[in-house]
Amino acid sequence: MSGQENAGVDRQGDATTDSQGDAATDSQVTDSADSRTTGVAGGSVVVETSDCRLSGRVIDLRERTERAVSAERVVAAVRRRRGDRVDEPDEETTVAGPDPQADMGGPDLVVQCPDPGPAHEHVGLVEPGMALRTRTALAAAARSRGVSPPQDEELATVRAKLADLSVPEVDTQAARERLAGTESAVEAGRERVATIRGRLQAARDAGRETDELREELRAAARGLSEVETERAAAREELERAERRAREARDARDRRRRLEDRAANLERAARAHLVDTMREEYATAVAAVPRSGVSDERDSGSVAPFDADPVTAALAVGRVAELRAPVVLAVDRFESPNAAADWLDAPVVRV
Amino acid sequence: MNLRVVLLVVTYSRAARGSLRNVCRTHEETVVRRFGRVALLHETAFAAFQALRLRAKHGSDVQIERTEPFNEFEAVDEEVRVAARAYGERETPSLPYATFAARNDHPEPGDLRDREL
Repeated sequence: MSGQENAGVDRQGDATTDSQGDAATDSQVTDSADSRTTGVAGGSVVVETSDCRLSGRVIDLRERTERAVSAERVVAAVRRRRGDRVDEPDEETTVAGPDPQADMGGPDLVVQCPDPGPAHEHVGLVEPGMALRTRTALAAAARSRGVSPPQDEELATVRAKLADLSVPEVDTQAARERLAGTESAVEAGRERVATIRGRLQAARDAGRETDELREELRAAARGLSEVETERAAAREELERAERRAREARDARDRRRRLEDRAANLERAARAHLVDTMREEYATAVAAVPRSGVSDERDSGSVAPFDADPVTAALAVGRVAELRAPVVLAVDRFESPNAAADWLDAPVVRV
Repeated sequence: MNLRVVLLVVTYSRAARGSLRNVCRTHEETVVRRFGRVALLHETAFAAFQALRLRAKHGSDVQIERTEPFNEFEAVDEEVRVAARAYGERETPSLPYATFAARNDHPEPGDLRDREL
């Protein structure tokens, strides 16, 4: 597709200055009939669907496509780009793997845009009924602005230790199963020996022939001895397995302590990041345009962290540094352009 | 229900601990006691089912054992009980047990270590 080769140029433009990137994109858009760019400064976005190609900092998919494109598909297409890039090797360190939602966009929806930063994951999609972990999102917003908490260094050390820690897998189940089988076999063997003994005694008392019974008893005793040997071996095997399991649990315990340490550091880091944004966030919450529909949390007097998820997401989006487009599916702003201005980020309205 | 025996479930990861906590919260009647990442469950097939379910989910991060109450009158000789009581009531708190045992004719620690219950 024609937009593919332009993508690298777009990104270079973004890497230098925003306005350059915008200008470069303007001249590269080939399908001008469906293109729509605005004068708003900032990164440029190209959205291609099966029936149209739109570009610009603000894209309104509601007017441009015949079939409605779901917000989830658009945001998945925005985030899918993270794994696609091969021209920037440092990307490998930040990409954990292919986005599991990558297929949601389908082959007929492609979005070209700057890479989503840390905040996009939380507030890159704003839609009615959304859920938001506000503090986590705000911490990501702080990171998008380049804030790094003092816990990062130790956190990296702890994570490296966790990655290096190998925990042996010891399976004691087979040994338990084997022993459980032999226990019941020994029990059955004993009962059999006792029964034959009883019959032998009765035969002797009655003066009957005992040869056959004595042979039977010898066979039963041999059988019992065999299963007793097997049980002893099974017990030993289980003991060995349990010793190994005990040592493995020491390693598991070390890992669990490191996990706890990492979680504590993550919490502290998040608290630090949230603190750096607290005031700006509160100001942003107060400035979010209210929805027409009345919501008891929408009265304007609620504490910033109790704001409804849409309000909170918009406020986080405003304080965050967002280069990838925010996919917007709510009616809080007069126009998509107004939303992009307010958020200071590219917007795709669906 | 055999009240003398309980299941001991120990977890070795944050995820397994979280699942154990959920199980204990949901099935309070099954739990004898919970200490952080460890729980004692009543000796029922339901408790065993819950413990096995945790192990199916978290593998070796879940340890399941069966425990029974400790009865010192069955498990050890009288001299061990006497030594423990006497050492607990010693006058010099800093006195190591080995010295205390040698002076007062109690079993030596090495000897105790070699004895099984």
